[in-house]
Amino acid sequence: MIAMWSSKLLEAVRFPALMQQTAALRPLLILGRGALPRALRRLPLISGGRALAAFAVFATLAGSAAWGAAPPAKPSSDDKFHLKPGAKGKLCLDCHADFQETLKQPFVHTPVKAGECSDCHNPHASAHGKLLEDDPDKICAGCHAGIVPEHASSSHPPAAAGNCTGCHDPHASKFKNNLKVGGNDLCFGCHKDLQTAIAANRFKHSPVDKGCLTCHSPHGSEKSVSLLKSDVPGLCVGCHNVTQPSFVARHKGYPVAKANCVSCHDPHGSSAPGILWANVHKPVANGMCSQCHNDPSSPQALAVKKTAPDLCRSCHGDMIGTLLAANRVHWPTLDKKACLNCHNPHASPQKGLLLAPMKELCGSCHKDAVEKQTRSVTKHPPVDEGACTTCHDPHAASTTHLLANGNTLELCGTCHDWQTHSTHPIGEKVVDKRNKNLTMDCLSCHYAHGSAYKHLSPYDTKTDLCVQCHEELKR
Amino acid sequence: MRQVPSTIGPPPAARRARSAPPLALACAALLAALFGGPAAAAIKLRFLTAVYVDGAGKPLATPEGVACNGSRLVVADSSGGRLVTFTVDGETVTPAGEIVLPQLPSPIRTRLDSKGNLLVLDGKLRRIARVSASGAFTAYVDAAPGGAFVPRSFALDRADTLYILDIAGGRVVVLDAQDKVVKEIALPSGRGSFSDIAVDGKGTVYALDSVGRRVLVARKDQAAFAPLGADLAADADFPTSLAVDEAGHLFASDQDGGTILVLGPDGAVQSRQSGPGWKAAFLRAPSQLCLDGRGRLIVADRDNKRVQIFTMIP
Repeated sequence: MIAMWSSKLLEAVRFPALMQQTAALRPLLILGRGALPRALRRLPLISGGRALAAFAVFATLAGSAAWGAAPPAKPSSDDKFHLKPGAKGKLCLDCHADFQETLKQPFVHTPVKAGECSDCHNPHASAHGKLLEDDPDKICAGCHAGIVPEHASSSHPPAAAGNCTGCHDPHASKFKNNLKVGGNDLCFGCHKDLQTAIAANRFKHSPVDKGCLTCHSPHGSEKSVSLLKSDVPGLCVGCHNVTQPSFVARHKGYPVAKANCVSCHDPHGSSAPGILWANVHKPVANGMCSQCHNDPSSPQALAVKKTAPDLCRSCHGDMIGTLLAANRVHWPTLDKKACLNCHNPHASPQKGLLLAPMKELCGSCHKDAVEKQTRSVTKHPPVDEGACTTCHDPHAASTTHLLANGNTLELCGTCHDWQTHSTHPIGEKVVDKRNKNLTMDCLSCHYAHGSAYKHLSPYDTKTDLCVQCHEELKR
Repeated sequence: MRQVPSTIGPPPAARRARSAPPLALACAALLAALFGGPAAAAIKLRFLTAVYVDGAGKPLATPEGVACNGSRLVVADSSGGRLVTFTVDGETVTPAGEIVLPQLPSPIRTRLDSKGNLLVLDGKLRRIARVSASGAFTAYVDAAPGGAFVPRSFALDRADTLYILDIAGGRVVVLDAQDKVVKEIALPSGRGSFSDIAVDGKGTVYALDSVGRRVLVARKDQAAFAPLGADLAADADFPTSLAVDEAGHLFASDQDGGTILVLGPDGAVQSRQSGPGWKAAFLRAPSQLCLDGRGRLIVADRDNKRVQIFTMIP
C-alpha cells in the first residue's frame, strides 16, 4: 500500500495534473512542487522498495515543523534551470537589454518584476511562439484561473478564447492591470460603432464617460447578459433613485423599479431626450403609457390592457387587417407572442422597432437561410446584408415564401436587369424541361439564399447546370 | 420508376451525408443476428409516380396539402383555391374531380376521416372545414377553447378524434365528435414555432417545432409535451410537416432542405430521403405528408407544383 502511494506521489511530482486527480494526495500538493526535495524530484518513476524508501524520506520531511511552516512556492527558475543564485531575470537582461525600459513602466506584471522570465518562457526551446512554455491562454490561466466564470451568463469573447494579450500587456504597461490602452479607448478599439454612436449622442449617460467598467465586467458575468455587473434594473437603480419625485413623474407614476429599463432607454446615451432609443413607439414618446398599460395606480400597473395582436390592432388596425386578409400569413404574427416576436413595443435602435437587426432577428428562426448565405461562394447582397424585406413581406402575402412579388422575374428584376443578364429563354411561356408544371425563371438556375457554387448556382459547373435540361448534350 | 438515393440533390457540399459505412451496417446486422437485438431497419423511399394535373389537364398551382387513404388522394391546391381528388389503384392515379368551395379560399392542409369525409384547414381564414365525401361543405369546426385560438394544423386519430395545433394558445386542443374540447396539451413556451402534429394508433401526439428543429411527444395520458430524441439540427433545415406510421416511425418533410427525414420510434434520424431538385423524385419546399396505410408516402411537392408518391421500402 505504501509502495503504491509512494509511486503515486512521485508520479504526481513529475506530472502535477495527476496530483490534482489523486484526491488522497491532494493535501500534499499544498506544499508545492518547489518545496519537494530536488533529489526526490529527480527520482525516476519507481515502485516497490525504492518507492517505499522515497516515501519514507518524504514523509519524514513533510512531517517536520520546518516543512509544515514553509509557504506555498512555485518552482523558481533557479530550480528549473539550475541557475546560479540570483541569476534569474538578470541573466535574461544581459541579452535583452532593451527590456530595461519596459521594466520602468508603472505597472509591471508580478512574475516579470520577480525576474521569473521562465514562468512563461522557456530559455532553450519551445513549440510555441516567443519561446512560450505553452499556449498563451494556458500560461495565463496557470495563475489567473477562473477569470471567466465557469457558467457565465455572458463572457467577453477575447477572454473566453484566452486571447488575454488582446487587452493586456504580459510584461508591463502604463495602465493599471497591465492594460494596453487606458480607459474606454481600449474597448473602443473593437467596439468602434459604439464609439461613433456615443460621440454623436446629444444626451450622455454619465457612467459611459466614467468608463465601460462602471457597468460591465471585462471578462465575463456570472449572472447577467452583456457582461453587466448585475441584472437590469438592479444595476440602474444602484444610481437612480426610483422614489425621487422627478423620477416618478417622468415615468408617469408607473412602478418601473422592476421593469426592464433598456426596453426604452439606450444605456450608452442617445440623441433622444431621456436617452430613449433612436426609434420610439409613439405612445411612449408622448408619455401615453396608459394607452397600452393599466392605470399606474392599478395593482397590476405594468400589465397590458389586452394582449398582442388585439392590443396593437387598436392603432395598427389597417396593417393587421391587411395581414389577416392575405392568403398567407407569417405564422409567428398570430402565435402567442404575435407582434412581440419581432417588435419592441417601447423603443428600439432598429427601424420599425425591431428587436434586433433584421439578419439577426429573421435568422433567429430561419437559421438555415443565414447559414446558407454564410457558406455561399457568391454573396446575395440582400441576404448577406440582412435586408430580408427586400424580397419577403414579414407579415403576410399571397405568395409562397411570403415573397413581395410572386413573379420572381419581376422581383429579381427590381435589382437585376435579367434581360441583359442572359440570352437563355426565360418567362412564363418557357416550360422547364425538368418539370412540366414549371416555367423558367431566375430560381430555375439560382438559389436565392446561397449555394456552394459560384453565381448562386445549384451546380459546380455551367455544364452540370445546363445538362439538367439539355440532357442530349450530356457527355 | 427508379430508386432514389438517400442523399441526392444538387448541392452536395451543403448537405451532410447521413449514410452509415457499409462495414458499420454489416457489423450492426451481425450483432443483431447474434444477440437478437432490435434490427432498426431504416425505411427508404422509392419513387413511384408524380401527379401534375387534374382531370381537365389543369396543372396543380400550389399543392400544399395531401390526404390519402389507400384508394383516394385529395390535394389541397392553395393558390388554386381548390381540392383536387384522385383515385388510387395500385400504381395508377386517376383524376376524380375538383372541389371548389367559397368556404375554402386557400386550403393548405387536409385529412380524410375514417368515413371518407374531409377536414380542411384554410390558410386565409385559419379555420378548419368539414367537407363530405361527395365534396359538399358541411360546417366549420366550431372549436371554442378559452383564449386566443389560431389553428396552424390538425390531425385525426383512428376514432376520428380531432387534434388541433393552436399556435395562439400554445397548445394542442383535442375535440370530440361534437367539437367539444375534451383535452388540452400545452406546448412548451420559449422560442420555437410549431407547424404540425401527428397522432399514432395509441393516441400518442407528436408535435413538430420547425425553428427548434425537434419533435416533441405527449403520450396518451400526458398533459404536456417532452422532447423525443435529439434535435434534428444536423439533418433538417426547416421541417414543417409530420406523419407517423403504425410502427411509430416518423416522417418529416424539410421545407428548406428539400428532403424527407425518417425517424425511428425513439426520434433518432434513420435516414434522409430524396433531396432538393426539380426532376421527378426530387423536392422543392415539400409540404404536407400522408401515409396511405398501404406502404406509400405521398408528399405535396409545393414549389415543384406536383404531388409525388413514394413506396416505403423497409
